[in-house]
Amino acid sequence: MTVSTNQDAPRSLSFKEIGVAERGKKSDEVVIAISPGFGGLFTQTIVGLPHAEVIRQILAGIEEQEASARIIRVQNSSDLAYMAHTAAKLSGSGIGIGILGRGTSMIHQRDLPRLSSLELFPQCPLLTLETYRDIGSNAAQYAKGESPQPVPTLNDQMARPRWQAKAALLHLKETELVRKGVKPVEVMPEFAAATVD
Amino acid sequence: MVRTVVGVDIGNSTTEASVATIGADGTVAYVGAALTRTTGVKGTPKNVDGVAKAVTWALDGAGVRLAELDLILLNEATPVISGLAMETITETIITESTMIGHDPRTPGGRGLGVGTIVDFAALDGVEAGVPSIVLVPRGVDFDDAARGINAACDRGVEITGAILCHDDAVLVANRLNAKIPIVDEVSRVDAVPRGMTAAVEVAGPGQSIRTLSNAYGLATIFDLDSDQTKVVSPVARALTGNRSAVVVRTPSGDVADRTIPAGSLELEGSRKRATVDVSRGAAEIMAEVERVSPLVDVVGEAGTNTGGMIANVRQSMADLSSHELADVRIKDLLAVDTLVPQEVRGGVAGEVALENAVALAAMVRTKESGMQAVADAVAEHLRHAGAAKVDVVVGGVEAEMAVLGALTTPGTAKPLVVLDLGGGSTDAAVIGTDGHTDATHLAGAGDLVTKLIDAELGLDNLELAEEIKRCPLAKAESFFHVRLENGTVQFFEKPLSATAFARVVTLSEFEGGMNPIPTRHSLERIRTVRRTAKERVFVVNALRALRSIAPGGDLRRIGFVVLLGGCALDFEIPELIATAVAPFGIVCGTGNVRGTEGPRNAVASGLVASYVASLGDPATGPEVGARA
Repeated sequence: MTVSTNQDAPRSLSFKEIGVAERGKKSDEVVIAISPGFGGLFTQTIVGLPHAEVIRQILAGIEEQEASARIIRVQNSSDLAYMAHTAAKLSGSGIGIGILGRGTSMIHQRDLPRLSSLELFPQCPLLTLETYRDIGSNAAQYAKGESPQPVPTLNDQMARPRWQAKAALLHLKETELVRKGVKPVEVMPEFAAATVD
Repeated sequence: MVRTVVGVDIGNSTTEASVATIGADGTVAYVGAALTRTTGVKGTPKNVDGVAKAVTWALDGAGVRLAELDLILLNEATPVISGLAMETITETIITESTMIGHDPRTPGGRGLGVGTIVDFAALDGVEAGVPSIVLVPRGVDFDDAARGINAACDRGVEITGAILCHDDAVLVANRLNAKIPIVDEVSRVDAVPRGMTAAVEVAGPGQSIRTLSNAYGLATIFDLDSDQTKVVSPVARALTGNRSAVVVRTPSGDVADRTIPAGSLELEGSRKRATVDVSRGAAEIMAEVERVSPLVDVVGEAGTNTGGMIANVRQSMADLSSHELADVRIKDLLAVDTLVPQEVRGGVAGEVALENAVALAAMVRTKESGMQAVADAVAEHLRHAGAAKVDVVVGGVEAEMAVLGALTTPGTAKPLVVLDLGGGSTDAAVIGTDGHTDATHLAGAGDLVTKLIDAELGLDNLELAEEIKRCPLAKAESFFHVRLENGTVQFFEKPLSATAFARVVTLSEFEGGMNPIPTRHSLERIRTVRRTAKERVFVVNALRALRSIAPGGDLRRIGFVVLLGGCALDFEIPELIATAVAPFGIVCGTGNVRGTEGPRNAVASGLVASYVASLGDPATGPEVGARA
């Protein structure tokens, strides 16, 4: 499955804060936790996928499964497991997705230990927009109580030596934005070029 | 003088040992038992390693030193081995992409739409008022697709449905101003013929389509006469039960439900012969097998699938037993009907249809086994290991020994039938009130069940199929509870593993032994496949075996049936067989050899019992042994 990115008119993304993130009540919802720098300091992943498209594909994956989605921004950590677990704990279904500015991602469930996960996508340079669509779709299926096949991912031993330095820099930059003790906020995505209703 | 005796049963898959000490006055005390995997094909000197291991373990367990061992009794293994083969006998072919019936998980919209198929790129050229079905190819974003369709609708084009390549149906449907049925995940969208009249139907959640799965519905939509309706009726049938579908009217397109010429089996009995076409199904094959029985040999029609199947079985058995190919004769055959998921030829969305297949299990009687050679090899091996005074003798025929062992089950009496449910074959032995024994060996047992489960669920993983066969199922509904297959819920203190979450799992007896089954099949479907596979093999074979050895073929004259062998330990096979034979007034249950060993160790115990009896009074033989 390929999803066109429409390179001629890239969509731009901004997040509007709408208050402190509360625990959801809908049993079919998936909560997506974005990192402090996602769609702000950073606008694309480590391999240049625009954050606007990444979020749009995750949301599309959830919508295609007829589940609902909320997005929160975690401000007190840039640790993926913490973010995804926070999202899961705030989610009405207990399923959350965490995503870092560089693209690393994870599906979490609230009853799991924090350092565990349902599905982990550790090699951010290998993730494509299709993968993000599938991540959204799988998270929604977990929320509905179905048993999806885990998202197929690539593995490349060379990804580490090739990308580690850049990943470390990006992580450092993102961690500088961490503000201790600040609660996660719920945000609303706003796409400039085209809107997702 | 106290003698230490070990009875050893070499089976197809396990080797069992039973240690007993015999007092000077003839009293027997069973002191230990052990089982291990059989090494090599049974009846060949390769068995020695397994035998030595089982004997050593059993002695260890009993606290007896190897040097004290006096005698090992081996069984004369039944010289039968079995093989399996499976072949599909029907196939579904779609020509000219007449239909798309792959049932995507998330179709969009609702209802039925009829129109001409138009490419998404050519939507601008369509005149207003023409009913059209949009075909959205790979690479078009869902936002763009929705905008394009909305724009066309605003111009007055009557868009009645859409066919998408990506998994976008709900996304597009949510963005459209008009509600139209949308089918998605059509991977080979380029193969869908443009410019033809087509119908798209999507039903609500939990519903199935009504119009396209009805031959007269198709006739109404496409204005067909009676002859044409006859041609499209397979299309309607193929779409039954789907939530969404597309049917395209092409000049000569068709869905054919073709029967592959599978070939025939030639059954040669001792007095009669019969030829039966495999495509007629298992019931007919089995009726013929029964009619010509006892079978002498089976030949498959040369140059057909069946011929290949039988030749394969024959070759693998010849290799296994190192016999000449000409010496391999098939003495029993079990045919089972099964449905195997296969990709439809000519489909444009990877459609899968359940095709009929026949699975065959064949049993071959080998030449007399070289048990004496095994006995000599075992003696040499164990003497080398420190059992200086050991003797190894071939103590008795397997079936008779099994009966003797089974009679030690509390609550049994003659006439008694032993059903040994093994891996490769189902063996039955009967002992009459007069002590006369008789035995029969039938093809098809545990391995065939595993194969059926594997094929019907499309797993392609025999290990997983074996696991499904052995263990009850559950669905992990959260990290702290599972719903078991009987509907009850089990809670856990500690969270389950992350891999088990939301999946159907098998529950093995071991603590925390929870294995996720990586398929989309529901718990109910897996359970049904498992149970029907067991029924079609074990219940059918149990009845076949009982009929062939019951006095006068009358099942009512059998009093007791004792189930032995590995499959008698199964959690549901004994119950399935007991239910099937209950109408004949038969007491049926899993054996409990010597009141302690369960269905295991019957032959090994029978060997010891028979030996003790021969010491006391050779004339009465098994009679005394049975009580020992």
